[in-house]
Amino acid sequence: MAESLAVDVAKRQVRRGRLTISRSVGQRTVTYFLLFFISILVIVPLMWAFAASFTPNDKVFQYVFPFSWRALFPVDFTLEAYRSLFLEEGFTRPVVNTLILGFSTVILSGVTNALAGFAFARFDFRGKDLLFGIVLLTFMIPGEVTMIPLYIVVSRLGLVNTWTVLIVPGLANSLIIFLFRQFFAEIPQDLIDAARVDGASWLKVFTSIVLPMSKPVLITASLLLFLGQWNSFFWPLLVAPDPRLRVVQVAVSYAYEEHQTLWNQLLAGSIMAAFVPILLVLPFQRYYVSGLVGSGLKE
Amino acid sequence: MTVRKIGYTRVSIARWVPYLFLLPAFILLFAFRIAPALAGFREALYAHNLSPVKRTFVGWENFAHIFRDPIFWKSLRITLVFSLVTNPLQTALALALAILANQRVRGISLFRSIYLLPVVISINVTSTIWGLLLHKDAGMINGILVQLGLPRQPFLLSPDQALWTIIGIISWVGVPYWMMFFLAGLQGIPETLYEAAAIDGAGAWQCFRHITLPLLRRVIAFVLISDTVVNLFLFAPVWILTRGGPQLSTNLLMYDAYRRGFVWGDMGSSAAMMMILLVIAAIAVAVEFLVLRTREE
Repeated sequence: MAESLAVDVAKRQVRRGRLTISRSVGQRTVTYFLLFFISILVIVPLMWAFAASFTPNDKVFQYVFPFSWRALFPVDFTLEAYRSLFLEEGFTRPVVNTLILGFSTVILSGVTNALAGFAFARFDFRGKDLLFGIVLLTFMIPGEVTMIPLYIVVSRLGLVNTWTVLIVPGLANSLIIFLFRQFFAEIPQDLIDAARVDGASWLKVFTSIVLPMSKPVLITASLLLFLGQWNSFFWPLLVAPDPRLRVVQVAVSYAYEEHQTLWNQLLAGSIMAAFVPILLVLPFQRYYVSGLVGSGLKE
Repeated sequence: MTVRKIGYTRVSIARWVPYLFLLPAFILLFAFRIAPALAGFREALYAHNLSPVKRTFVGWENFAHIFRDPIFWKSLRITLVFSLVTNPLQTALALALAILANQRVRGISLFRSIYLLPVVISINVTSTIWGLLLHKDAGMINGILVQLGLPRQPFLLSPDQALWTIIGIISWVGVPYWMMFFLAGLQGIPETLYEAAAIDGAGAWQCFRHITLPLLRRVIAFVLISDTVVNLFLFAPVWILTRGGPQLSTNLLMYDAYRRGFVWGDMGSSAAMMMILLVIAAIAVAVEFLVLRTREE
């Protein structure tokens, strides 16, 4: 009995193996080759940038032209680029600015959009479809469309170069609303009913019942919101070019202009700017991907 | 404040609680997404003359001025060529990459993680690094070409190559990004369909044409349309690497709109350009939507 079960399982596994596209050793080799080749396309540029940021400036291109694999490793390992970046160029300032912006956005935007998502998920009310349609519409309009008119309005209000203008406009985020809505829709009605029968206000239901069981969506939303702020470039460029208020991405792009020949420093800044997203997303990949794909596709 | 009625087994909702929950988000959406979009229409009808504060009503003059400008027409042509090439190309490559990344081989999740890297890095870091890699005399790409015995290429410095180079750079980011969507779509297709087809003797290509493609139709449409919109508003690589050049060969409409406003101080024209771009995007989306809907397999 057990033996025939094992045989069945084995047969099914063999059949499964044959039915995915990579069947034979030959096809599997091709698959690995392709996977590897594309990985090279992704990794080599990043490896060079990483290595070059630890190389003295005059040696940055040493093995690049003509090309040799040694270009992917630091020549004469040195921290001078990073030291100069932080101590002389004051790169710490943009980093700190962006961290503050990131955390504030996660909290403020998270709350705002979670409340909205909850409303769409758990209530029925007049105008619900219309209001949701509006959220959908704002999702489809790319950010750049509103940026230039918004800049005009903002500068007329004298809000250029303020913390407010960097945080507030981006707080309402349709994608995040979708995210919360999807998640909150899955909460069993009984839990909420029980709390309401006990006399809890909706706010209490939200904060004491729903939120504590929302860890996955909170992780996803926080990740997306923080990265959105960390990687944000165009808007801060327009409205906060002041060196004291600069964000990381703007600082890096200015470095490209102002210090075109300090390659290793430029790359050090770029690596710093890229490091944080990589560090945050890799362990939480599933959350990140499902957040972007799941909510975007379903709506 | 709110009237609460606690029922027995049915709980009733005070009428305006939902609206209260929605209030913060909607105030913000109106103020910072909808109102500016509408304001964009309005600002396009004014001349701002170096100051966003003082402006004079000029009606359609901004638009007329743009339509008389040969630079606009060149920009329009470049943007259309760019769109027609990039969007189908990126969509197809993303689908191909997703099929590859969906293979059940050992270590596939490592490769998927690697393919995620270009997506999480910001666009301007990507542009900066690739800008250095594509340098005419010291860039790695030319280094490799020379090593292979091929001639050096000017890439971003050549009016003929610059646009294609930018397409290449944004595809380095875009293809993995859209691949995520296709991968999710592929993973939603039940194994049993392929099993049944294999029993009937179907080959890989037939499986693709008759199972995969039809079931992915909605995802393909979503990716193609979203990619179209995103690419029409492409700005960062152009601003960082070429500033619209060389010789305006990468002067895409979005960059041109930015230039008119922030380099030449003509905010009215800038807003007008954005409106034109918005109309183009709406038309492109409508066309793609209709084309992809009527194809019933």
